[in-house]
Amino acid sequence: MFTINKCQQNISIQDLGRPTAQHLGFSGTGAADEYSFLLANQLLKNPSNTPALEIILGQVSLRFTKASTFVITGADCLARLSNTRLENNKIYHASANSELTLQMPKTMVYSYIAIEGGFECQYWLNSASQAKNEVSLGLVSPRIKQGTHFTRANINIESVDSVYQHQVESHFHQNDKLTLRFIPSNAWSTLTLQQQQQIMESSFTIAPASDRMGYRLSGNPISSKLPQQLSAPVNYGTIQLPDDGCPIILMKDRQTIGGYPVLGNVARIDLFRLAQKRPGESVTFLPITTQQAQAQLFAFYSQFQTRAFEHLDSSQPAFQNS
Amino acid sequence: MIDLKQVNIDSIAEDAILISWPDVIAPAIAEQIVFIKHCLKECGEQKIIDTVSSYTSLLIYYRFDLITSDQLKALILKQLAVISSNKNPQVASDIIDIPVYYAGWDLNEVSDLTQLSSNEVIDLHCKHHYTAYAHGFVPGFCYLASIDKQIQLPRKATPRAQVPAGAVAIAQEQTAVYPMDTPGGWHILGFTPIKMFDIAQQQFFPKIKLGQIVNFTPICQEKYLDLGGKLHKEC
Repeated sequence: MFTINKCQQNISIQDLGRPTAQHLGFSGTGAADEYSFLLANQLLKNPSNTPALEIILGQVSLRFTKASTFVITGADCLARLSNTRLENNKIYHASANSELTLQMPKTMVYSYIAIEGGFECQYWLNSASQAKNEVSLGLVSPRIKQGTHFTRANINIESVDSVYQHQVESHFHQNDKLTLRFIPSNAWSTLTLQQQQQIMESSFTIAPASDRMGYRLSGNPISSKLPQQLSAPVNYGTIQLPDDGCPIILMKDRQTIGGYPVLGNVARIDLFRLAQKRPGESVTFLPITTQQAQAQLFAFYSQFQTRAFEHLDSSQPAFQNS
Repeated sequence: MIDLKQVNIDSIAEDAILISWPDVIAPAIAEQIVFIKHCLKECGEQKIIDTVSSYTSLLIYYRFDLITSDQLKALILKQLAVISSNKNPQVASDIIDIPVYYAGWDLNEVSDLTQLSSNEVIDLHCKHHYTAYAHGFVPGFCYLASIDKQIQLPRKATPRAQVPAGAVAIAQEQTAVYPMDTPGGWHILGFTPIKMFDIAQQQFFPKIKLGQIVNFTPICQEKYLDLGGKLHKEC
């Protein structure tokens, strides 16, 4: 249905990830920005967990070998379909032999290309997501490179109405400084009020060594030393505090267990926003409660026509081995 | 016995509750963690997404659309109470024996650092039974503890870019088998010909289950090759 013409190891297949396989040591993985991923499938009326292409910083081209209906969401890569300039979040019909080109976006990081009806890919433990460190195991589709060909999947969907208007908050990603709301850990509550105040009033900069596994923050190092503990399970959004005082926020391709002290856990919808921020951009921290974070996340998923955990309903809990 | 006052149950994220035991590596805690996992799996049904455990902690991912964190905490407390009234939760299964050809790249270095002979290092590594505490790092990697104090060493200062599948290694009070070729910073004592996981019909079967007891048995090169082992050249 389409063939990759140009890319630089910056494309992967992503869906909502592999949350039921973490006890085996597999990363939770999944789309870095669930907002843009879910929006893409919603616009096409695909099932919400239909795999899409996730592209880091554009600069990709592909050729449709058959007529296809698609949408681009996330970072705006000034896309062109042959000679027509495209807009994000709009449905387009590509004819056979037309070429889709994405340039380097001016802002944000991840773009998603979703195809009406999806494309064939190899599943492993209920997900087609290609986690950075696990692709080489050969359990999911091989890493995408120039010449990789995709064929149409046979996912049943309603036919797409081009003028379909989505009811999704359109200002989810903002250009201004991002406030990361977080649920404080027990270790956080051992800090003095003054130490907590210092962290909340500090501005941190996203460091260059940030990727799908974790975002490293630099700035005034946090001087409060937290006690080292035995390695413990870590989560999407865990804020680790190594001895150098520079926090690391664990992202989608995180490991399952980690040893650094933990300050708290960033609210999930702010992680979708953080993923789209680039090195050099600033963030601050603000504590919230679990209930507040749950309410926000519930409202987030409710915007989409599908429920938050729909993709888990059909999956086999992969418990049998531990 | 378990002192419930020493166990913390905390809501750490929208869909995750962390149970933390006192921060000491102990087989009794591992048994309790495995027991709780089994109970939650039984009674949690679709409400539990997954559980991830380590030495002294258990993370429970749950469907917050189906159960509230308070309901889940109550369920956990109920199961903990069952344990506290039961001295020996029956979860341990048969002992796993892992044959090792002790010709590891770091055997001499470990011997130097510990001021023991190679044979003494091997004997100390084989003489103990180990408890399987956690899966992680890479799929199939299982953290085993605790090794003899005399051979406990910090990780290598610089990790190797490539450690071969089957490498049996130690770090601090832990030992493990590398399930696949991967970078790694533990001291390699030997190699096992045994596969650490199987994949069949979209399922992943780690060789070692959590809570299981593992011991290592030395084998000669001939036996190692017979069992399908490969000789690795240090890279």
